[in-house]
Parts: sequence; C-alpha cells; structure tokens
Amino acid sequence: MIVTTTDTVPGREIAHVVGLVRGNTVRGAHAQHDLSAWMKNLVGGEIHEYTKLMAEAREQALDRLESEARASGADAIVGLRFVTCEIDTGAAEFLAYGTAVKLAPK
Amino acid sequence: MSAHERPDRPESRPPAANERPPTPDELLVMAYVDHELPPRERAAFEARCEREPALARELALQRGLDVLARDVAPREPEDHEWARFTASPSGRLQRVIGWVLIVVVPLLAIAALEFFVWRESVAPFVRWGVTILVGLGLTYFLLALRARLTTRPYDPYTGVRR
Repeated sequence: MIVTTTDTVPGREIAHVVGLVRGNTVRGAHAQHDLSAWMKNLVGGEIHEYTKLMAEAREQALDRLESEARASGADAIVGLRFVTCEIDTGAAEFLAYGTAVKLAPK
Repeated sequence: MSAHERPDRPESRPPAANERPPTPDELLVMAYVDHELPPRERAAFEARCEREPALARELALQRGLDVLARDVAPREPEDHEWARFTASPSGRLQRVIGWVLIVVVPLLAIAALEFFVWRESVAPFVRWGVTILVGLGLTYFLLALRARLTTRPYDPYTGVRR
C-alpha cells in the first residue's frame, strides 16, 4: 500500500478515487508514566513516555487507515493528513485521514 | 487589483518553486532522493536523468538540500542509548519510586478516610455509605486493570518506541 502526503503518486496515474479513508485511536498512558511525565515537565526536556504514547497512537491510526483503504480495494492513499487533539489529560487522540485511490496499471 | 494578483512578481517572471505546487517530475525527484521508488522505477528514473540534463540538475539540487537538511539536524540519541538509560539504576529507581507513590498514596488516603469515617461520632449511614463507595471505586479500578492486562498481549503497539 502506497501512502503519501502528496496529491499524486510519482510515476503513477490515478485511475479513480475510491473515497475518504480514516483511522483514529485514543490511547492513554498509565499512572506511573503520567507521574514520570509530570516530574520531567518540571525539569524540561523530552518526555519519552508521551513521545512513545504519541508514536503508538500514530502507528495504530495509520494501520487502521491502511486497513480501511485495503478493504475498499484501493492501491494507494494520497493526501495523507494527521490530526491530533487532547481529549483527556495524558491521553492522545490521533486521526489519520486521506484519499484512497485506485492506480492505473503500469 | 484583485486579491489573486501579485504586485511583487512581474507577469514575465515564471513562478519560483516555492510559489507553485511541485511538478510531477519534481515529485519524482523527491521520491528518488527519499528512496521511495521501487527498483524498476529507480532504474527508469536514472536512465531519464542521463538523457535529460534539466532533470539531472533538479536531482543534484534535491540531493544537496537533502544533505543540508541532514547536516542541520542535530544527532538524535539512538534507541540503545535510551534503553541503556532506562535500564540504569537511576532509571529503575525512578520507576520503583513512581510505582510506590502510585500504590501507597491512594491506599493511605483510603485508610485515612476509613479511619475518620469509622469513628463513633460519625453516623452509621455515612460510614457505610463511604465504605460502599470506596469499595465500588476499588472494584471498578480492579476491573479496568484486569481488562487492560487481558488485552495487553494483543496490543501490537506497546512495542512502538517513537
């Protein structure tokens, strides 16, 4: 599955648009990570607990996005975008969306 | 003058690369530099570069930008360096203290609450009411913990690092 943020796939022609596909997730860190993050917030620097949390959410949202595109018979996803927001303290919501397309045969 | 007209750019000057969407060839060059093309398309692109000097120039420009971008970026700590820090005595101590605080503080708070509630001066319905609420809260937490421990082995994302 080709996933790209551009509106086209270089070297390939888009035969038709399948439609909007999206994948989202909301993940939380456990209390020990929240406590550690809170402490790190006092002294500054990267908060790895939350970096990991966001990375987990990103990968899960991407996998769900690709899964939906695959189920709809698409070859590629173009115009990929990510949206994130805080739905709860210490939780990460990640939404990935894009346009599923069918590529013309080479 | 309409909102779409650009007074700072004479009509005769072609738009610069950052003033228009990338052309298919520019996208192709970016994909090549980023190693995103499959082998057959890479070979076809390299053959085209030999025939088309403009494309070869664009490739040289993009490669230069790629090198520049990598040189500008500071070195990231490797995963094994983070792992070493996490496994160090201070990293382990930090986690142990964290867990102790998380477990001990709520238990002490519950014990203190129950201690005050079960004094003679407190009405029996308040005692039992608070105790039942605390019991329900603990049960709810244990059920949530059980659900997490049950589903955790099937969560493929816990291994994602960053």
